[in-house]
Parts: sequence; C-alpha cells; structure tokens
Amino acid sequence: MDEKVAVVGINYAQGDDLGLTRERLCFQTVKGLLVQLGIDRHAIDSFILASNDFLEGRTISNVFEDGPVGAYLKDETKVEMDGINAVVYGALRILEGSYDTVMVVAHSLCGHQVSPYLQVQYSLDPTYDRQLGLLNELSGAALQARSYLRRNGLDEGWLDQAAARELAAGAANEKVTRPLQGMDEGKVGSSPFLYEPLRELHCYPPTDGACAIVLASAGKARELTDKPVWIKGFGSSIDSYYITHRDLTVSSSAAEAARRAYAMAGITDPEVQIGLAEISGLFAHQTPMLIEALGLAPEGEAPRGFAQGSFGREARLPVNPSGGALSAHPVCATGAVRVAEAFRQLRGEAGAVQAGEPRLAVAHGQDGLCMQQNTVLVLGI
Amino acid sequence: MRNVAIVGVGYCPVFVSKRNDVSIPEMISEAIHNAYLNCGLTPENVDAFTFGNMHTFEGVNMPHLWSIDHLTALGKPIMRIATGGTTGMSAFHCAYYHVASGLYDVVMTITFEKHSEGDAQVGLAGIITPEIMTVLSLGIDLTGGSGMGGLGGGSAGGISFQATSYLHHSGAGIEHIDAQAALERRNAAKNPYAHLKDPECTAEKIAQTPLVSYPIRYGHICPTTDGATVCILASEDKAAKIADKAAWIHAVANCTTDATTGNLIEGLITDPAEQMSCQLAAKRAYERAGIEDPRKEIDLVEIYNGFAHQTLMFLEKLGLCEVGEAHKMLERGETEIDGRLPVNASGGVVSTNSIGTSALNRVTECALQIMGKAEGGHQVPKKVRKALAHGWGGLMQYNTVTILGDAPLKR
Amino acid sequence: MEGLMESYFTPLVPMDFGYQYRLGAYLERYLDGLRERKILGVRCEGCGDVMVPPRMYCGKCRRKLEEWIEVKDRGELVEFTVGHVIMSKGKLSPSDPYIIGLVRLDGATHPLLARIQGVEVSSLRPGMRLRAHWNEAAENDYFVLDHFGPE
Repeated sequence: MDEKVAVVGINYAQGDDLGLTRERLCFQTVKGLLVQLGIDRHAIDSFILASNDFLEGRTISNVFEDGPVGAYLKDETKVEMDGINAVVYGALRILEGSYDTVMVVAHSLCGHQVSPYLQVQYSLDPTYDRQLGLLNELSGAALQARSYLRRNGLDEGWLDQAAARELAAGAANEKVTRPLQGMDEGKVGSSPFLYEPLRELHCYPPTDGACAIVLASAGKARELTDKPVWIKGFGSSIDSYYITHRDLTVSSSAAEAARRAYAMAGITDPEVQIGLAEISGLFAHQTPMLIEALGLAPEGEAPRGFAQGSFGREARLPVNPSGGALSAHPVCATGAVRVAEAFRQLRGEAGAVQAGEPRLAVAHGQDGLCMQQNTVLVLGI
Repeated sequence: MRNVAIVGVGYCPVFVSKRNDVSIPEMISEAIHNAYLNCGLTPENVDAFTFGNMHTFEGVNMPHLWSIDHLTALGKPIMRIATGGTTGMSAFHCAYYHVASGLYDVVMTITFEKHSEGDAQVGLAGIITPEIMTVLSLGIDLTGGSGMGGLGGGSAGGISFQATSYLHHSGAGIEHIDAQAALERRNAAKNPYAHLKDPECTAEKIAQTPLVSYPIRYGHICPTTDGATVCILASEDKAAKIADKAAWIHAVANCTTDATTGNLIEGLITDPAEQMSCQLAAKRAYERAGIEDPRKEIDLVEIYNGFAHQTLMFLEKLGLCEVGEAHKMLERGETEIDGRLPVNASGGVVSTNSIGTSALNRVTECALQIMGKAEGGHQVPKKVRKALAHGWGGLMQYNTVTILGDAPLKR
Repeated sequence: MEGLMESYFTPLVPMDFGYQYRLGAYLERYLDGLRERKILGVRCEGCGDVMVPPRMYCGKCRRKLEEWIEVKDRGELVEFTVGHVIMSKGKLSPSDPYIIGLVRLDGATHPLLARIQGVEVSSLRPGMRLRAHWNEAAENDYFVLDHFGPE
C-alpha cells in the first residue's frame, strides 16, 4: 500500500499497578498525546476504542470511556479484540475517505484490578470446554509448548532461555515499569510450575496499560509530524476454535495474516526486507513460533537462535527489543503497544532499547487460545 | 471512496423468545446459510467478516472465537465489534468501511443474540453495576436519593424520564404511545421475522397493559428475542455481478454524547430526550448523502425503538418532521405501511429485540424494502428510493444512522 | 488536582451471573451416548475427518455434518501436560499434580482432551495406548467418561 495512512503519534504506559482509574488512565494517555501533537480533541475525526467488557466489569464499557478520551459529540466505536485490530479499523476509516484523523485507544487494568484469565476462560465453549473444566489459557498453552519442544528437539531449559531473553530486554525498556532486573535463566527456571512445562515466568504477566495512537491521512500526516510512519500493509486470519484440530506446533493463522500483510505491503522476502519485529508472544515458546510463522527466519532456526540471542538489539533483525508481552501484557492494549514500540524504533526514538535503524517493521497481535486469531501490520518510514 | 451495496440479507428462520433447539453457533449458522442462499454467493466469495453481539447476555467473551467453525470464516479476517444497542449497525458500518476502503470486495456482517440463555436485566444493569456497588459499599442508601427513579425498573426507569420529557416537548399524550405500539404490533404481524405479532392490535388493547413507570406501559416495551441476522456487502463492480437488485449505502454516521447518568443519586441527568447525538449523526449522514431536504427525500424509515415512544421521538430528532409533528403524522396515518412515510413497517425493535441484531435489522429491513423483497405483506406499496435506518444504544447516548438508496450515489 | 488522587479506594465487586446454555442436538446426542458407554462422533463427507465430540459444521469444508460414527473407547496419547494449579473464575489456586492429555481414539481423526489417571508421569509417552474409564454413577453427564488410563 502506498503512503495513504500514517501513524503520527503515540502515547502509552504499562505497569503492575498504575494507580489510576480506567477513566483517568484513558484521559491522561489521550491528553498526553494531544499535547505532544499540539492539537486538541477537535482535530480528531473518529475514535476507535479497544477494551473488553469482561475485563472492565461492565457491559458496553465504552459508555464511560467516551468522555475521558475526548469523543463527546463525536464519532466513536469499539472493537472488542486486541488493540492492533483497532489500528487496522482506523486505517480502513481513513482509506474510505471521510476522515483525516483517527484516535485509537486501547487499555485494561489487568495488573491489579481483575483476573485476566477470565477473558479467555469466558471465551471458551460454554457447552463443553467450560463444563469439563480441563481447558484454559494455561493448560492449552502448556500442551502447545510441550508439542513445540518435542517437535523441535528442545528441552525445558530452552523455555527458560527464551523467556530470559525477553525479560532482559524488558528490563532495559523504560516504558515497562516493572521490576524485571535479575530475571535471568536461573530465576525463570526456578519459578513454580503452572502446567508443565510452563512455569510462572514462562507466562505473560498481566499488567495495567493504555496505548493511544493517532492515525492520519497522507496530507494531514505531514501537517502533524515530519516523521510519519506509514502503514504499508496489514492482514488478519483465524484458526479453528478446536485446538485438537490444529497442529499446535505452528501458528497457521499467524502465517496467513503475515502473508496477507506482506502482499499488501509488496514484501516478497520478509527475512531480508523487514528490519525489526514487535511480536505479541504471550508464553516463552510463542515468540520463536511466531518468528517462524511471520517468515522472519528459516524453518527450525528460530528457536535456538532466539534463545542464543540472535534476535537481540544488535542483530540484523531485532525481535521484541521492547521486551514483548512476556515483560508486560496490558490485555487488549498489547498489540497496540507493539505498534507503538515499532513506531518509535522506526523514528529512532527508542532511547535505551533502540535497535539499529530499521526502515520496515512488523507488529503483531493475537486473540484466543493458543494464538487462534492473529493480526499483522507492516510499518515503514 | 467507492460505492458499497447490500447484496444479500439472511435471517434465522424465526425470531422467538427461546430457541431451545440450537446452540449459539448453530443458530448463527442458520442466518449465514440463508444469506448465501438469498444472493447466490458461496463462502469462497467472501473476503472478510465483521461480527457483533452483546456478550453479557450470553456470558461468552468474543463469541466469534468459539463459533468460527460454524461461520464459514476460517482463515479469513474477522473483526468483532461491541457497542451496546447499536452493535448491529456498528458491525455493519465496520463492514462498510472494509469495502469502501478499497481493500475488500465482499464482506459479511454477522450479528446475533440469544437472550434465553441469560438474564436480560443482568446484561442491562451491568452497565452501571460498578457505580451501584461502590455506592452500596460506602453505605449510601440508594433509595433515599431522588435519582433512584433513574435506576428503578432496570432500563425502564431512565426511559420513563425520556418518555415524559418527549411528551412534554411535543404535546403528545400517552394515548399516542399506545397507538404507536399498536401500529408496530400490527406491522409485525406482516413480518415473518418478527417476534411479537398482533394483527388486531389497537391502542385500547395496549392501554390495558399494566403501567411500569409512567408513561411506560408493559405494552410499550420490547421483548427479548433469540435471533441472528446476516448482511452481505459488496463493492460496486462486484455488486453488479452478484445481484439484480441491491440497496446502496449513501452514508453512514455515528455520534456519542455523555452517558446519561450524571449524578445518579441526586437525579441530575442530561435530558434523555434531547438525543443530541441523534441530531448530529443524522445531520452528518444527510450531508454525506447529499440530502438537502430529508423530509422530501427520505421515503421510508426504520427507527430503533426499544420503547414505543421512541419511534415518535426519534422521528423528530432525525429531522424528519418538526417537534410536535410526529404524533400528528401518526394520527393522520402517514406512517402506516401504505402511508406517505412508512415508519417501522417491520414492527421495529419494540416487536423484535435480539439486541445484537436489532440495529442491523433496521438496515436490512430498509434494504429489503428498497429491493422489493420484504416478505409476509409488510413490503410498502410506494417505490422506495431512499431509506434511513437508525440505531440507538449505550446508556441512552449512542446514535448511528445509515442512509440507503436504490442506486449508487453519484460522487 | 493531584491531591484528589490520594483518596481513591477500590471496592470489591463480586458478581455472579447464572446462564443456561442450549447444547444443541449434536452435543446432546453425544452426552446421551456416554451414558451408554458409547463415544459418538460425526464424519465430514468433504474431508473424511471424524470429529469427537460431534458438532454441526466442519469449519474447513464448511459442510454440515450428518454422518454419525461410533468410535472406540481406546486410543493413543498424543500429548499431555501436568497441572499444578486449578483455574476457577479466572483465578489460580494450587493443586496436587494431575495429568490432562490429548487422546486420539481409534476411529477418530482428532484427539479428545481428557484427564489421565493411573499412569506414572515418567512413563507417559506419545503413542502409548490408553482406554476410557467410566463413572456411570456421575450425576453430571460430562463426567460419565471419567478419565483415560491403562488398557
């Protein structure tokens, strides 16, 4: 896709307990971004929210988010999925032609206010899986992890290494306000088992977080910033609900989502052309799986490479210099945060976690059990 | 920007209180199957999907994840939208933007609700449960405040404020609400996909139903229904190949105002009959559709009316008549199926309410009227060139508007 | 303005809603079958896959499933995990270790998720043969097929 829609500004925060109500968090995040861009809420034509009623504890949760995000008497709608999809919807609205600017706001307070596992538990089949009580987000991920280890000839220590890589990156990221120092392989490997082989530190930490992103049409983008980050392409795909029907060792819907995104972006050799990836891997085995699904490494090379640090900040193709979702998972906002992190990397504004000078980046978000639904965005500067 | 058409509509076979024979995914698959049948498309033809419903009513989060294998959508993009009462139209608008963006040619909107599996009051009260619980846990006595009226009777409490204000400003009386409800139940009797049907309904019959909270009678209130509705949209080039008749989208608009609670306890709330967001959404939609005089150009309307007075109230707020005029139009028979401006020929939400579908049904009904495909006797005799579909929800604050035409808009 | 933030408090709001789900004809027939120690599945005419538990649609082929098949009550272990926590209403609580696994029954295409008992964790291996152990006294239909264990 040519330069038609750009990300012009971002503002986000993540932490175990941001000490704010939802309304205050949304307000501050949006206000901070408006101030940054030197505009007020009237410069925004449309608002797309991403939140989840089960996590908000109320029906139609966007009812009380409208005021704080500045949508009063304006066009507003809500996507109830990972925030990366709200970014895609925002792009569609701008492409349609009626809007020049869209504000995307994704958030949740999973760090301290609500049991985050609820949102996946309540997405399970109420007529069967919920009745049997065996399948949940963790047991599903564990079955997937074990299958993946077995297929690739990896031992459980590999999970510790993979997790430690992400946590070390997160520790260096000032946008992750969590105590991640010292979370090395040993620490990870001695955290308690949840469902073998997954230990506590192999699994995402649910956190508080909000992410606001402003998208703009080509003309407007250049007014708002001298470094617009263009949305080159996006794609989304979904696997069968039944994990028993899927080959759990690959994420076919992530591969399909990437294929569609690359086709739209005109990318024929992602391994060579993509300069950076921000991927929402929720468990230690997922980021390496997704690296392969996104075509960013030859098959079979990602797991060992990832554990050994071949996708670190100095690599040719850094993956998750932000620390990824394993360092902070503000459910619903996570995919949007990946977009925000890719944005600042492309503009050379990532400070301590700047990973080279990428020109093209990939951002990824997921929903559902064992990465059932995936969305991939290609961004370029 | 390119023109987008509705090429197919699919309803599940019946809209009733309880579909005991099917699970949620099975019920949705019926409407999908019918949509394909009605326009001759197959799943291979569909590029993307949007999905909407209000999950508190079934207690299933993101039900598109669980139902996906029943939705003919494996492998494809599917976006989930949830915005309360307006969900059906919001999901439809999302599909519109998919096609209008130029990136997808054929997109399906899927909506449903299976109220029989949950408790409707729970779903509705769930909007302000945190506020109520906070107030209770602080030891504040809710019954002492004058705002208690806003909470009384679930959503009927705030609604009675709205109805009273509407009657005050328009000069209409409760007898007009009775008459409107009766008209919609009679219309519903001619719609095979409606829930509450009464071909012999009269204002007097409605007036005999118990008062819930003045001026809202039991007979003015929508039912809870199990149902699913599917709509297929296509780009201009594709539409020409698919459908001999299509309904063209001329404009979509959406607006929100503040959540109409204000200070719950003291009863200081925004006038819920003002519906500024409806006035603004309609204005934006008319501008986008190039409509200068909606009262002359709109041939048919489908209004989101969970409560019968809302048909009259929104007719005014949408700018389709002067304030104080709607109930007079009703008296003169202008809003009947064979009238000058048929309103809710389908029977409206007050006759059929499976919430996820309710706002989409307003669009599909307008589309069917334009295409001349409304069944059961509720097809209006006049030629429908332009129609307006309206959706409403949230905490009385969301309004969505869609304007459809019988030919593509000249841009 | 900042001073106001110090007076926040977080009330606990326990909410418990009851729902009654319709299973649909396919699952109902499956559960009836369990009472007779039968494990029923449906076969897709498009791809030939046999789904257990049965359902109305094959997502891959987008076909309605009409052909009922009874599969065997024994099969092979595909994968397993040992749980050390129980999840209830989204919260975790510790548990004595228990095994859940995917068991592909003879005649079915895809595995079934079930508890595994009576086997040492150290001897669990994909490919090993297991069979269903029944509990006809279970009041809850879902637990009539109690677990998979040694043949």
